Amino acid sequence: MKIDCVCTSWYASVRTLRPDSLMEANNDVALDIIITNVVSVFRTRCHLNLRTIALEGSNVIYKPEVGKVLMKLRKPRITASIWSSGKIICTGATSEEEAKLGARRLARCLQKLGFKVKFTAFKVVNVLAVCTMPFHIHLIQFTKNNRPIASYEPELHPAASYRIKNLKATVQVFSTGSITVTGPNVRHVAMAVEQIYPLLFECKSTMR
Amino acid sequence: MMGSGRKCPDCGSSNVVEDDLYSQPQLVCTDCGSVVSEGQLTTTRSEEVQGTIVRYSQSTAVDKQPCRNQIKGLKRVRALCRILRLPPVIEETSESLFAQAYESTDFLHVSLPKKETLAGCCVLLGCRMQGWPVTMGTVTSLLDTDSCLMGTVYKMVVSTLKLESPHTNIMDLMEGHCREYHLSPPGVPEEFCESADRLASRASALVELASDTWLMTGRHPVPVMVASVYLAWLSLKPSPARLKLSLGRFCQMAKVAVPGPASKRVTELKEVLCRLGQELPWQKGAVVSPQKVAALVGDVLKHRISLLKRAIRSHEDALAMDSVSGTEGLDVANTPSSTLPLSLCTDGVAPICEDLPIGSSPCSEGQPDFHQSQLPTPHAEGCQTVQSVRDSEDVVVTATGSAKNPEARGEPARGSAEHWGKRHPFVPPCARNPSKKPRLAETGPEVTGDEEISDSEIEGYLRTPLEMREFAETQMKLQSDSY
Repeated sequence: MKIDCVCTSWYASVRTLRPDSLMEANNDVALDIIITNVVSVFRTRCHLNLRTIALEGSNVIYKPEVGKVLMKLRKPRITASIWSSGKIICTGATSEEEAKLGARRLARCLQKLGFKVKFTAFKVVNVLAVCTMPFHIHLIQFTKNNRPIASYEPELHPAASYRIKNLKATVQVFSTGSITVTGPNVRHVAMAVEQIYPLLFECKSTMR
Repeated sequence: MMGSGRKCPDCGSSNVVEDDLYSQPQLVCTDCGSVVSEGQLTTTRSEEVQGTIVRYSQSTAVDKQPCRNQIKGLKRVRALCRILRLPPVIEETSESLFAQAYESTDFLHVSLPKKETLAGCCVLLGCRMQGWPVTMGTVTSLLDTDSCLMGTVYKMVVSTLKLESPHTNIMDLMEGHCREYHLSPPGVPEEFCESADRLASRASALVELASDTWLMTGRHPVPVMVASVYLAWLSLKPSPARLKLSLGRFCQMAKVAVPGPASKRVTELKEVLCRLGQELPWQKGAVVSPQKVAALVGDVLKHRISLLKRAIRSHEDALAMDSVSGTEGLDVANTPSSTLPLSLCTDGVAPICEDLPIGSSPCSEGQPDFHQSQLPTPHAEGCQTVQSVRDSEDVVVTATGSAKNPEARGEPARGSAEHWGKRHPFVPPCARNPSKKPRLAETGPEVTGDEEISDSEIEGYLRTPLEMREFAETQMKLQSDSY
């Protein structure tokens, strides 16, 4: 699911980074932020018998050694880990709304199986998104400019990681210009991209 | 000093207080000073009340003694420093880092392997802070631990101690690395011998070239170093015997381990060298094959900068030719010097890509960013068409996506499928050949999350009674078979 996010203030701040000689009208750049995964949790407020779910539900995988059941929904494409305490974690959605719909479908499914399910405490806990910048990035310059928030260890991982504390978001920056952003919700992810774009722009390289 | 309800026998005053003489309890009259009564001077331990609030260990212990693991860890740090022959400054730095990290709360309830790895991480951090070139791989192999664990603990140490971990200069690593290669007479035929100094200087130049052409960024440094040493060795004496030897056999002969990606790096480096070799004036534009490029490496490295300029210029000319033939009436006359890369517009001092802290200054930021004209406006335009306005809570990107340059604006049809990597001659290899399909936003159904869920949607996820029975029977059969 693609989201379009903006802020005129962000746009303005990007504009101010560019040298005046290149500032012409209509030199905007579109950034696609593609959400690849949304993780959410909810509670059913009742005990769930995992054996019953494994027997009566289709598309389920029972893992007795871990004590959970994996249930996969087709539409929206979601995988849910169901524990007997009634806590359920859903992964694989591509938007917050899809995650909610999938979770509700799942709760309905469990209701049909005979459990007294209540759909409560639904919360999106993690959102993973990717974005590609139209330029490549000097990772060492980026790390130098943003110490100590940014860290880059080529011997460990090819990307530089940048943690935004106030948004609780982590951005991994690759030299090809791709970035992956993880945050607690979509809004924070979008804000993280807005925040990091000027920093990446400073370290961009279009040479070679 | 509470007054007790007694009268002094001498003066009759009732102002009698408890006033102990050391450990002997006494009742004393405050008016005349006479002792009214006194307790026993010597008491048993259980009767003694004073001085029992403070624990014995707290009162007598002067300094906290380090625990056994901490002592072992410090010994390990010292041993590592002796093995690596590090100067005393680094040894002291590492010991203090270890002591600080060990006593911090983050490392309090940590497993023993992590504590053992902590010693190596402190040595590594100490070396980095003092600019001593040591790779993580070296320390990992000395500790005989897992590289993932090493990475985890290293990051923990850096964040716990709130330090900055400077990057190792790969050029410093290069010399030490080249000395590991056994390429001297006794074990190796005369034909294949090479001195470490010559190898180091040629390999360093190759590493600089690799960093200029985006082969170093984000990559592990060791495979690139091995690849450049191999190519340096080939090029210093490109005889048929040497050219026949593959990377694996070379490393076997030199008694050096071959890292996995090294052969890919060799291929990538050779590709870059071929492209630059093609620009040599005496090649007259003839294509250079990877097998024959070893002979040209020396010349390529000598004239690296001008060859890079020429390669970029000819790539741009080729692109301009394509666009002229592709779309008519296009003014593409200005592929000017403005499209030259930043660093090559400097005063000819060897500019190095910033992906390595090689020591020369990075590209000057004062110069305008010329390649803006070549930003992937087609990509942006392609996105514009896909743009969809979602619910009211979304806000629209200022994504008009039109070009920065007038001429680029005139190339709408060309671009949406073309990756921006194709517009530049030297880009990270994965950007040049994006083998994966570009990730498109899957336009899933427009959902609000609060829609009605009908029964029919759910029925697909439930088994029918017949299926349930069959499943239960099969399970029982399988269980009975397994017994």
